[in-house]
Formats: sequence, C-alpha cells, structure tokens
Amino acid sequence: MNTANHGGARKGAGRKKNSGRFKEETKVIRVPVSLVNTINPVIEIYKSQVKSDVEVLLANDNPTELSIPIFTSRVQAGFPSPADDHLEDTLDLNTHLIHHKEATFFVKAQGDSMIGAGIQQGDILIVDKSLTAKSGKIVIAVVDGEFTVKRLHKYKGNITLKAENPDFKDIKIGGDDELIIWGVVTSVIHQYE
Amino acid sequence: MNNKTKFALVDCNNFYASCERVFEPKLERKPIVVLSNNDGCIIARSNEAKALGIKMGAPFFKVKDLVVKNNVVVKSSNYPLYGDMSSRVMKIIGEYSPVQEVYSIDESFIDLEKLPFNLMSHMQSLRQRVKNWTGIPVCVGVGSTKVLAKLANRIAKKYPRFDGVFDIDELPYERYCKLLQSVEVGDLWGVGRQSAKKLNRIGVHTSYDFYQSDVGVIETLLGVNGKRIHQELYGNSCIPMESIPPTRKQIVSSRSFGCDLKDFDELNQALTNLTRKAVNKLNNHKLSTTTITVFIYTNPHKKDKPCVHLSKTIGMTSAIQDQSQIIPLVSQILRLIYKPGYSFYKGGLVLGNLAKNYQQQDLFSMNQNSPSQIIEHKKSNTIRSVNSKFNESIKYASELGNNKWLPRADFKSNRYTTSWGELLII
Repeated sequence: MNTANHGGARKGAGRKKNSGRFKEETKVIRVPVSLVNTINPVIEIYKSQVKSDVEVLLANDNPTELSIPIFTSRVQAGFPSPADDHLEDTLDLNTHLIHHKEATFFVKAQGDSMIGAGIQQGDILIVDKSLTAKSGKIVIAVVDGEFTVKRLHKYKGNITLKAENPDFKDIKIGGDDELIIWGVVTSVIHQYE
Repeated sequence: MNNKTKFALVDCNNFYASCERVFEPKLERKPIVVLSNNDGCIIARSNEAKALGIKMGAPFFKVKDLVVKNNVVVKSSNYPLYGDMSSRVMKIIGEYSPVQEVYSIDESFIDLEKLPFNLMSHMQSLRQRVKNWTGIPVCVGVGSTKVLAKLANRIAKKYPRFDGVFDIDELPYERYCKLLQSVEVGDLWGVGRQSAKKLNRIGVHTSYDFYQSDVGVIETLLGVNGKRIHQELYGNSCIPMESIPPTRKQIVSSRSFGCDLKDFDELNQALTNLTRKAVNKLNNHKLSTTTITVFIYTNPHKKDKPCVHLSKTIGMTSAIQDQSQIIPLVSQILRLIYKPGYSFYKGGLVLGNLAKNYQQQDLFSMNQNSPSQIIEHKKSNTIRSVNSKFNESIKYASELGNNKWLPRADFKSNRYTTSWGELLII
C-alpha cells in the first residue's frame, strides 16, 4: 500500500466552491465601525438579488384529519354495488345538537319542576351559553346565586321564571333580585334505563 | 409610536377563580383562593382575596387564620376543569385573528396587523364573546409590540374606565413615560428576577429607568433578550409570534404524596400511576423516549429525619413508547434506588430525549414489525382508548393498593366539563 496517499483532505470533501448564499467567492475584510451601517444594507440588497436555488417548503405541522367514507361493499368483478354511488356522511349527533362547541355545556336536571317541558329527574340538558335568551325559551338562570331551570317570560319589562308543573310557583323577578341568564337549554337527553 | 405592527395580549382575569365562579355563581364577589397540588400553597386568588393581603405562593397553613376569619372560599386545584375552560377560551380568541400564540393556560397573543377592522370595537367584541360564551372575564392590552401589549394589559385590568381594552399606542408621550415610571422593571414582560437584580445594581429600578438606559449597557448586562425588550418599549417589534409550540424535549410527571411513604409497594403504586400519565402524554404527542429517570425524595424541611434524594437514569438503544414497556422499566429502576427506612414525600419520573415515533430501530433489537411487537403495540393502544372512554378503568396491577399516595385535594370542585359523573346539577 502506498503510504503517501494517507492523511490530508479528501478530494471533493467540504463545502462546494461558490455554493454559499452569494454564489461566488467571498472575502473577509476589516471595516471601520462607522461604516458598518452603510455597508450592511448594500450587502443585504445584493443578497436579495442572488436567487437561491433551493426553495424551502414548510410542512403543515397541524394537518387536519379528513375522514373518508369507507366503501362497505366488496369490490367484485361484474356488478358494482348500486349503493356506492349514494355514499353520504354518517350522522353525528354532535353536529346535530351542538352549534357552538366552545359555548356548550352539559348539566344534569334535578327535580320535576319542568316535567311539562319534558325535563325529568336525571336528564342531561344541553346548554348553549352563546344564545340570547328570548321570551319563551327554557333557560338556566341564576337567581341570587342559585341555579334553576325554568321557562323565561318577558312581558312589558316584567320578568318571570315559569315552572312547567302546577305544583311549583313561578318566580317573579323584582327590582332587588339579581337575575343572570347562564345559558339557554337547546335539547334534553332522556335515557331509558 | 405609530408603527404598522400591532399585537394584542388577551389575559383571563384571575383565571382559576373565575373558572370556579362559572359553576358556582354564588362565589361572585367573594374572596377565593386556589391551592396547588396536594393543597400546599396559594396559586391563585380572586381580587377580593388579593385585597385581604393573601400573597401568591404563600403556604396554605400560614394564611389559614386569615382565610377562616374572612370566610375565604378555598378550592383545591381542578386542572381538568381549568384546562377545558382554557381551550374553549383560546379557541374563541383564535377566531379574532389569523395568527395566535397561546402563551399560557390563561394568556394568548394575537397579531392584529393589517386587520381591516376598528381594532377597539373588534377587541371589545372579543371580550364580550369570551364572557358570554364561557363566563370567563378577560382583559385585552393592545400595542405595537408584544412587550407593550403586555404592559397595556396591566392598565386594562387596573382601571375599569377602559372597559377591559386598552391601546397603549394611543397614550401621549408624557403619559407613556409616567406609566413606565409606575411599573417596576421586574414587572416588564421578559425581565426575570435575576435580570431585575442585575438592573437594580446599576440603578435601574423602574421601567422608565430601563427605557432611558443606553441600549449598549442593557445588551452587555442582559444579552440580546434584554436588548429586544428595550427595543420593544420604543415600539420596534423584535419578539415575533410563536404560533407553533416547540416540540417537547422531555415529559416530567411528579407529585408530592398525600402522606409520607415508606413501603416499596406503596411507592411503586404511585410511580406506576405517574408513569401511566406520562406515557399518555407521550402517546398523545406521538413521541417516543430513549431515557427514563426515576426519583424519590424525603422531605428536606423535616430536619429531625435523615434526608435523601435518590434518583437514577437509564438510557435505551432504541426508542420505546408503549406503557407495557415503560411501566416495568420504571418499577425496575425504582427497585434499584429504593432504600428501606426512609419516609419519602415526593417522587416522579422524567421521560427524556423524546423523538417522533418510529425512528430507526437498533439493528439487534426485535424488529418493529415482528408479530409480538405488533401485538404489544396494539394492546397498549387498546388499553389507551378504553381508558379515555371509560374514565381510566384499566389499571396496572402494581397501581392498585391503598391509594395512600394520592395527593390531598380536600376542597376540589367537580370536573363539570370533562366527566359525565360530575356534571353541574340544576
């Protein structure tokens, strides 16, 4: 073996000539500090005119998931399934029942003061906090710091919270009472055991 | 200061206390404090509690008298609730600008540059919407840089007459200087306690002193970050938005135990549970780990008992991500470091050197695609999905026991938004 070939730089190793951002040879020079701000912009402008031959493509870090409907029928030679032309989205209760995801809360009903409106003990109420409470809506109200679910009645400036059960009295909101409408009930989930 | 850059910092008012109030409206206007994990220290206060002189970070036992005397409402921290409310608030804020940086659980920057709206009414509408949709009150600070937006937020919070939204760029110069004089330099965004100390030593106490200081001096003292903050006070935006959170480098899962633990099985029970939490995080971020550190401490404040700090780190040749692999390893490390006779008060683990899943395998390790590996992986995935649906119902045998380690949470509110069994009852 010829020992003279050992050591030293390998041929073709290192950065390729003129492969820097200027695409030509560069040189280190000393510059008076007072001139740095004058010279730098010149270099920046020059730099921006030298076109890079590499374009950086950033991958989306948060790709959204796309669900694709699955073809349920097997692919067969011969007749394709007549249903494949009629593929539709599956039904999702969330999109049906919830319109403002960030403003929607689930609460559990207690008692039977709203039985006439179909709200039974233990039912889950879907409450949308983003909706404005119009007269006639079923609302989650806070009266003097306590929660209650009732039907809201507004008439000529009088506000009443009505129960839907003759055994319960309506709550008339007087001048001193503090009433906050916490949210509007949009659905009730009643599960049969 | 009429630059073209424009940022807003949206900050929730007393976030943890506000979350508690959403589901317990009778706490409105009452003093509330929220305690850290294991009910140790005060980590959040309502305005009323602040007014009573209860300090941030104070150990609970030290302010107990004050709390009892003033009927202060005490809550253990309820992170599932705060986390869910935070993500709702952040989503709504994100609708108000194409560029959002979620800065912490209760703060978010948004970029307002070039938005074709009246910014003041745009921000008022944001504030109203967050309040109406979630019940959480927020304040908005607006400025031509992030440091200024953060400063503006203080003003928006402090003075009710601004209705929760304040644009610092609208201040006349003299008023701006006055404002800087009233803010300690350590309260500027990005100036930490150490930096504030350094600045105090050269006679810089207020933000105005800092503003007036020579930029060269600041850079020598605090480095480029200090220079950036200085520049930002002049309205030159130097700190860009970071809308993509950096990838995690490590996952730490540790707890102070509810009471001191001596027994190996009790420690192992705690560590298994903490490991499962860490591995869930690992899997949610689609990461895998190559180093595991396990540590257990005795209480350094108990001077009468011997004090030890035991820990050990192991490295692996190939990255792993399944709990069936990690949990037994943690147990083994614990067995190596455990010494009988001590009372341990805190423990945990660190999964380090994280990488995206499915990197190159070690030549000598079992093939990733070998049938047994695939079965293991599928098993872990199944356990994970069952647990996310059914409230952590599948546990490791080593996790079962007397639950002595569980941190104290004596005053915890319900997980109203994340657990079917704990819904608000009306």
